[in-house]
Amino acid sequence: MTTYAPTPISATKRSFTAALCLSAAMLMGGSALAAGASDTDTERLERWQDIAKSIFGDRIIEPTDALIKVDAPPRALDASLVPITLMMPEKDRIAAVHLIIDDNPSPYAAHITFGPAADPSEVKLRVRINNYTNVHAVAETKDGKLYEAVKFVKASGGCSAPMGMSDEEALKGAGDMKMKFAEGGQGKPTEATLMVRHPNFSGMQMNQITRDYTPARYINKLDVSSNGKLVFSMNGDISIASNPVINFALAPDAKGPIKVVATDNQQSRWEHSFNTPTPSN
Amino acid sequence: MIRSIGAASIALAILSGAPAWAASPADSPVNVPEPEGFWTGPPKAYTPKTLTGATVVDIDALDKLVAAEKPVMIDVAMADQKPVGFPTDRPWLPAHRSIPGSVWMPGAGAAPMAPAREAQFLARVADLTGGDKTKPVVTFCHPECWGSWNAGKRLLQNGYTRVYWFADGVEGWQDRHDTTILKVDAAWAAKPAGEAQR
Repeated sequence: MTTYAPTPISATKRSFTAALCLSAAMLMGGSALAAGASDTDTERLERWQDIAKSIFGDRIIEPTDALIKVDAPPRALDASLVPITLMMPEKDRIAAVHLIIDDNPSPYAAHITFGPAADPSEVKLRVRINNYTNVHAVAETKDGKLYEAVKFVKASGGCSAPMGMSDEEALKGAGDMKMKFAEGGQGKPTEATLMVRHPNFSGMQMNQITRDYTPARYINKLDVSSNGKLVFSMNGDISIASNPVINFALAPDAKGPIKVVATDNQQSRWEHSFNTPTPSN
Repeated sequence: MIRSIGAASIALAILSGAPAWAASPADSPVNVPEPEGFWTGPPKAYTPKTLTGATVVDIDALDKLVAAEKPVMIDVAMADQKPVGFPTDRPWLPAHRSIPGSVWMPGAGAAPMAPAREAQFLARVADLTGGDKTKPVVTFCHPECWGSWNAGKRLLQNGYTRVYWFADGVEGWQDRHDTTILKVDAAWAAKPAGEAQR
């Protein structure tokens, strides 16, 4: 563990190269790879193409610097709790985002669809990362087009990392929720942070004593609405970190109580309501 | 001087107490004792700094060894477990990234191990080393993964004289070098001889 030397340049270069390769490959109809790419770049690009095809079929995904950006620490402190920020500056054009962690065995981490009560300019969530990987964010615009951004993240072992407590203990209070608000001021979106207590067992975590794998149990759907209007709906996966936390923003005109409905893959369902802060100015 | 003797006797006392802890994980990464035989405790736990009879290598030493001698590289990291009931409409695409040129034998560091499976492991290593037990062999998996320690131990017990344990594993490698996606070694993936009918 003494050999860690930060190499942010190569990390940046790598994801940049991957993005370049991708755009080049797409210009050539996806059949050829850019010359000069290393074996690893080629391998990573091919994997992304396989994943993209399994999720989006033959739909074209264009690279973008404007419609979506993905940010994450280049080297994560805890691979089972990696903060990801998705930024969609042209928020009025955004219908949905997809988060894909290329090298996770289950790469499709989240699909978030925004509703009329959302301000989709920024979403933050925490994920598990299994290996040094490209993280792809794909924005879906209201006219049905797909745009992608990529970031290389160094983290390892996040999907199988045990929680350090018994399964029963980890499940205690599952479905409890909290929500915090940070008011943006007059006419600005209200930022909200939703915290859900749930171990989000990945099914890849081995109980170190019994050597059994803890069965997968994770939040697979999260619906948030404001006064009956959809803020967002998220399809989640085992790549979402335990005790999911998601930051999002409400449209300035979104009023009334926020309702959250969460379900997990074991058919448990939880529903909570939160009052939005009353405007103070 | 007196102080150092005192420290030595404390160390001895700790070592002599080691067998009693052999199957329970150390609660600190400092001075983890070597078990007498194989490690049969939790597969992911703090590992010792040593493997008696083997050379423990860091990435610098491994780089030199690889450049000089092309050792046989054996990755014993476990394969990703597909969650039971994983939805069929989502992609499940496990990819094991490892040191290029390595042979991936997931679970080859397990202990105890069925005799037929152990024989299969040793036969495969004999094949990879051309039957030369003086050829350098590197075992690795991940940090705090006892599998590669056990695999190295298994080779030592079977007469291999140049066993190298790369304790930092894939993570130690990928900090400096590219990795590649490996498939499970075909010979290791096959059922051991005598179990073919199962």
